[in-house]
Amino acid sequence: MAMHANFRDQFISFAKPFSTGLMVAFVLLSATCLPAAEKQPNQKQIQFFESKIRPLLIKHCYDCHGSDEQESGLRVDTFKHIVKGGKAGALLVPGKPEQSILITAVNYQSADLKMPPEEKLSKQEIADLTTWVKIGAPYPNADMSLLRASKNKGKFDIKKEREFWSFQPVKKPAVPAVKNRSWVKNPIDQFILHDLEQAKITPAKPADKRTLIRRTTFDLTGLPPTPQEIDDFLNDQSPQAFEKVVDRLLASPHYGEHWARHWLDIARYADSNGLDENVAYGTAWKYRDYVVNALNKDKPYDLFLKEQLAGDLLEPAKDVAERNERLIATGFLSLGPKVLAEVDETKMEMDIIDEQINTIGVSLMGMTLGCARCHDHKFDPISAYDYYGIAGILKSTKIMEHYKKVARWHENSLGTDAELKVQAEYDQKIKAEEAKVAALVKSENERLQKEGGKDFKLPAKPEPTYSKEAQAELKKFRAKVASLKKARPEIPTALGAAERETIDLPIHIRGSHLTLGETVPRHVPVVLNHQQQKPFSKKQSGRLEFAEWLVSRDHPLVSRVIANRVWRWHFGKGIVSTPDNFGRLGAKPTNQPLLDWMAANLMEEGWSLKKLHRMILLSNTWQMSSEWDEKAATIDPDNLLMWRADLRRLDAESIRDSILVVSDGLDAKLGGSLLNVNNREFVFNHESKDGVTYDFNRRSIYLPVIRNHLFGMFMLFDYADASVLNGDRSSTTVAPQALFMLNSHLVEGASQRLADTILSQTALSPEQKIEQLMLKAYGRLPSEREVKKSLQFLEELEQELQSEESDSQKRMNRSWQVFCQSIFGSSEFIYLR
Amino acid sequence: MSILPQSLFSRRDLLKKSAVGFGNLALLSMLNDEAKASKGQDPLAPKEPHFTPRAKRVIFLFMKGGPSHMDTFDYKPQLQKYDGKPLPFDKPRVQFAPTGNLLKSPWKFKQYGESGIHVSELFPNVAECVDDLCIINSLHGTNAAHGGALLKLHTGSDAFVRPSMGSWVTYGLGTENQNLPGFITICPTLAHGGVKNWSSAFLPAPYQGTPLGNAAVAAEQAQIEFIKNGFLSRKVQRKQIDFLNELNRQHQQQTGPNQVLEDRIGTFELAFRMQEEVPQVQDISGETEATRKMYGLDEEKTADFGRQCLMARRFAERGVRFIQVSHSDQKVQWDQHGNLLEGHGKNAKEVDKPIAGLLKDLKQRGLLKDTLVVWGGEFGRTPTAQGKNGRDHNPEGFTMWMAGGGVKAGFQYGATDEFGYYATKDKMHIHDFHATILHLLGMNHEKLTYRYAGRDFRLTDVAGHVAHGVLA
Repeated sequence: MAMHANFRDQFISFAKPFSTGLMVAFVLLSATCLPAAEKQPNQKQIQFFESKIRPLLIKHCYDCHGSDEQESGLRVDTFKHIVKGGKAGALLVPGKPEQSILITAVNYQSADLKMPPEEKLSKQEIADLTTWVKIGAPYPNADMSLLRASKNKGKFDIKKEREFWSFQPVKKPAVPAVKNRSWVKNPIDQFILHDLEQAKITPAKPADKRTLIRRTTFDLTGLPPTPQEIDDFLNDQSPQAFEKVVDRLLASPHYGEHWARHWLDIARYADSNGLDENVAYGTAWKYRDYVVNALNKDKPYDLFLKEQLAGDLLEPAKDVAERNERLIATGFLSLGPKVLAEVDETKMEMDIIDEQINTIGVSLMGMTLGCARCHDHKFDPISAYDYYGIAGILKSTKIMEHYKKVARWHENSLGTDAELKVQAEYDQKIKAEEAKVAALVKSENERLQKEGGKDFKLPAKPEPTYSKEAQAELKKFRAKVASLKKARPEIPTALGAAERETIDLPIHIRGSHLTLGETVPRHVPVVLNHQQQKPFSKKQSGRLEFAEWLVSRDHPLVSRVIANRVWRWHFGKGIVSTPDNFGRLGAKPTNQPLLDWMAANLMEEGWSLKKLHRMILLSNTWQMSSEWDEKAATIDPDNLLMWRADLRRLDAESIRDSILVVSDGLDAKLGGSLLNVNNREFVFNHESKDGVTYDFNRRSIYLPVIRNHLFGMFMLFDYADASVLNGDRSSTTVAPQALFMLNSHLVEGASQRLADTILSQTALSPEQKIEQLMLKAYGRLPSEREVKKSLQFLEELEQELQSEESDSQKRMNRSWQVFCQSIFGSSEFIYLR
Repeated sequence: MSILPQSLFSRRDLLKKSAVGFGNLALLSMLNDEAKASKGQDPLAPKEPHFTPRAKRVIFLFMKGGPSHMDTFDYKPQLQKYDGKPLPFDKPRVQFAPTGNLLKSPWKFKQYGESGIHVSELFPNVAECVDDLCIINSLHGTNAAHGGALLKLHTGSDAFVRPSMGSWVTYGLGTENQNLPGFITICPTLAHGGVKNWSSAFLPAPYQGTPLGNAAVAAEQAQIEFIKNGFLSRKVQRKQIDFLNELNRQHQQQTGPNQVLEDRIGTFELAFRMQEEVPQVQDISGETEATRKMYGLDEEKTADFGRQCLMARRFAERGVRFIQVSHSDQKVQWDQHGNLLEGHGKNAKEVDKPIAGLLKDLKQRGLLKDTLVVWGGEFGRTPTAQGKNGRDHNPEGFTMWMAGGGVKAGFQYGATDEFGYYATKDKMHIHDFHATILHLLGMNHEKLTYRYAGRDFRLTDVAGHVAHGVLA
């Protein structure tokens, strides 16, 4: 059991190049000196080195790794340099050729490192080198203890590493004192104001009510406030007016739709595989709806994570619906892009695991764990030992049905007992009918044989010779089978995770499954674990244990990372400005006490995200205006201390959704799939025909997310890539966005619809029409000047159109369409103050 | 919602800027991501390379699938001789599909030009240009499946999402014509990685390739998305943009100094110019009869790819940095697991004349000397037979060629074994191929890096050597 099938195969493939001659050499040289790293080599061994190894190194290696040139920083002409190794890491592990890069390189085991590059060494030369490493790399007049020392190189000083800010457990800091107490609405303000006062900056005055409700409605729901909602807020003079708005918005199902999209960015959600074989993830939408519902229900964040990593392993569910919800949640692990036609199946499997590790690391912990696949992490104290500790958990998890090209991912059955029962009944009936067919065929064949006598040979297709009655019967039975099969209900499924054989993985040297090192137990990264590490159960993959560790009170990263993400998604910038990287190369927090306070508070409040939103939105920090202040700008030009509200552009989805909603064209239906490609079918394979349509009026979150070919408008406006997870979308301003606003059918159609709606209200004067339009689009009334300018523009347009359109009604209609389109294209429509 | 970089100006600066209008048109975009270096300057403005470049731009003629090297540019007399015999050495550890014994090439080879390089009768027209080609016979990759190999060729990685070669090049060098995209891919395939093959991945969005149609669209119909307005006349649209500018200026004045809002005004002007210029480049009505003939536009079989090649030249002469042309017949492609004769025959017929036309045309216009033309596919094919008359994928050894832009002309570099299975001499891995292209463009592949997710990424990952042997 210890040597698992896969590992064993690899071991065998590794062992293949060994010639029998080598085995003899082993016996000769190794028996007495293993493990001999530190023993001074004997004469025989030195002789072996001088006669076999040194000449070989001179002949094949010195040119590029000698005194003149040191490619990849490697030099092999002195013992000191051999011990030091090169950029690829230590050259050899004394006594362990199978873990030594020198040996895997000369064996051409990994495509990434084949030495010498021009031509493989002879079998004998490889055997000699292998023997040399096996017997401890004896070298004349050398300090052999250097080798042992080099073995320990790269191990981290864990205690020291843990001093890094984000690796320390979260402590709730005291709320700092401030001078201007009256500005403070809740502790968040106190942290912010404290730093502003230190910098001698005065925070901006509160935003006006129109700006505030527009900002907050977009922020929570991704949609603009309706004129009625604005009016209600303006007319509500009570001190709780804004609180009421926030609570109403948090209770809206549109909150879940909008905030799920944030989560989907870091869950690299997509409805297709992408990468090489772009087949439909036809059940992924269930995961998307799960996220929407979880957020709307305010599912505690700790449970939310546990379900996604180990929903199939949680305590028995109270009912089928809950069980299915948890199974669907594990889709998180399976949603990544996979190379499904990788010819090397083991490589495919390890690549899929790598993608999962990278996602778990970056999205949940802000740690680039994936970096440790090939070597210890260069910047963070994550070792290859840690990486393969997690890889073992995922290797013990079933994500794929098989790895043969084109590989097939696993889906969990979501059937209820009743459904399964009905299906079983059908199977029973089908079986019975098929048995009747078989029985009749058998009896007819026997009859024919009997009648034909001994020499009779039954024809290959005997049925036409059956009796008329039998043929009719058969036809009837078969028709029944066909109709039963047609009526047999399909049981719904969803992609996700399940258990498989529990296994520990060996370290893959340089990330290759062809060069395996020592096997490591499944475990969590050492530096992040502040408790005594218990060995993982051998009965389960360990996903549940891993998830429980993630959401334990002591975990230094998970609560900080999500608190920072929530802050980022509200304000457009994180307290840690690299929300996906809390490691050494990530940014330091601009206000660590505030972040830690929110992280601790989140856990105290039972991991409720809605409570966190509420706290943030009801702060004065959120409610500031975007008013410009020359003095503050000189001190803090990037507004890191938050002395005013930043100007923000809407994200791609909100731009599309608000164009639809303002033009009365949005279908606000919740959930479901709009993908018109069946599960596992190619979105497009050899032919580049795009079978997916985006021509729906549903909210953007429901549009299919096709990796490799995202909806064009989304790509233009910095939508997440859907393959590379991204918790910090950028906001570019490029000319193709302008082309979209000017030329796309989507904008043209919406502006036409809007123009039609406005013009149909014939009782309104042109001035009133303009007022209504601006109110719908901007949430405010136009100034007198704006009305005047707009009327002037409409008039000029009509004149301009005279040569093109003789019908005055159509001319007016067209002018209004162009006018409405200009409003959609304007900065005010897509930028929030 | 994303936050905007708020570049701040003193009042005087702002006035100065306003005095020259809100244009500031060179500013295509402002980035607020990790590309701090480019903050405040146009990410697509021409940039100095690391050293004097030999080539200023690239035209990549991509053959979707794997053109067979033994049947085109890698002449193997031994293969003819041992037809039907078993391969006398081991096949690779992983193979895409099982293959049988050696299969000779059904095409004859002839020596061409002063260089006397052998080319098969599949490419009679390109063969006429052989003295301009630098044929690399020793390419090798790591992936035997279409998707992986295609991604590897375009992005350097067959397992992860990485920026494509064209994105790296425009990231490194910017582009010369700000009215056109810097990286254009004409009729690309949407299969096997699709957009990933021209995507900027984690590089900033302006470095994303701009597709002109896709493989399912005829070259004549290929267009950049949203480039055309189907409902307004140019005059009316001009009026609309003027009004829009006014709205946007007024909005900007109310929000305080903000670079992005200023840039945004510029993008509408640029868009207006782009939608003028792109159709002009695509409009080949001004080309002479002789030129059209040279590209095979007068023949049905070559007209489509010929038009792509001609557009490539027109983009190249207008300063586009990286142009990819794809030959990706929807049904057949360069993927003859069976029916080699028929399939390769058809494919070669479609591209041979247009490619030769492009080479000759570039040369006569003096563009070839600083334009690097690259031809090739995802991998080669096996010298052994798949089924009766096909060849399987072979990433172990295959051929691509380069022309112009500082490579040796009339030259063969590297070699495969006597049958063409493995690259043996002067082996050039895909990473080396990338390193060499960047070198020709004046960039050190180890220095062209971008920091993302905690480390510095390169097109060549941690590998790649410049093949100095191909440099003129």
